[in-house]
Amino acid sequence: MGPLISCKDASRLISQMQDQSLPPGKRWLVRLHLLFCDACSHFHRQLAILREAMLRYRE
Amino acid sequence: MSDNDVAVQIPTHRAYLLRVAMLQLRNNEAAEDVVQDTLIAALQGAAGFSGRSSVKTWLTGILKHKIVDAIRRKAREPAFAQLDDECQIEDFDALFDASGHWENPPADWGNPESDLSRQQFFDVMQFCLEKLPPNTARVFMMREVMELDGDEICKELTITSTNLWVILYRARMALRQCLEQHWFADPTRTG
Repeated sequence: MGPLISCKDASRLISQMQDQSLPPGKRWLVRLHLLFCDACSHFHRQLAILREAMLRYRE
Repeated sequence: MSDNDVAVQIPTHRAYLLRVAMLQLRNNEAAEDVVQDTLIAALQGAAGFSGRSSVKTWLTGILKHKIVDAIRRKAREPAFAQLDDECQIEDFDALFDASGHWENPPADWGNPESDLSRQQFFDVMQFCLEKLPPNTARVFMMREVMELDGDEICKELTITSTNLWVILYRARMALRQCLEQHWFADPTRTG
């Protein structure tokens, strides 16, 4: 991964962030990517919504 | 709360426990079994209920262990070997173009508060969950419904952490795409 990562790589890391904390270097790459990428920002938010929806679904 | 009060309360949560067990196990008989085991264990252990959490939370904790036991037994069955087939990362290549950009960029879902209070939304989610490959759904449920952490899931299913994140990624990519297509992109949903 170069200093700027693709959406494909970013989406994988964003999913992993739901399950574990990433090393600071990778976290930085994701944050930087999210600053400039609406699609991945939407994806990031969607995963949070999905998590909330699953918990409500259980109730 | 006396032991007696707890014992009276336990069966009132049966329907909820059955619902959670069904979500995870997708099999009536298996779900009934774990719920019965949970109720028996709870009645036997009612004296040990500390009262620090609600009876419902306490029962859900017991149920979680019983479900993990059931999954562990099932993980030894041959059907589960197919799990490996669901760990291929190449499957996702179609979602991105050659330069790694989204083929169909995720949309802004806005503020979903009103969506999450509607039964129809959860009907669509159920539909989307049922479209997932079975082991992918099972692992995703372990993570998001049972709230097990990654290490626990890997240990119970004897899979690597790489397999785990591929499966969870697969589940999330499929679910977000399905929800977007069948719910969030539907202009009539708020009507």
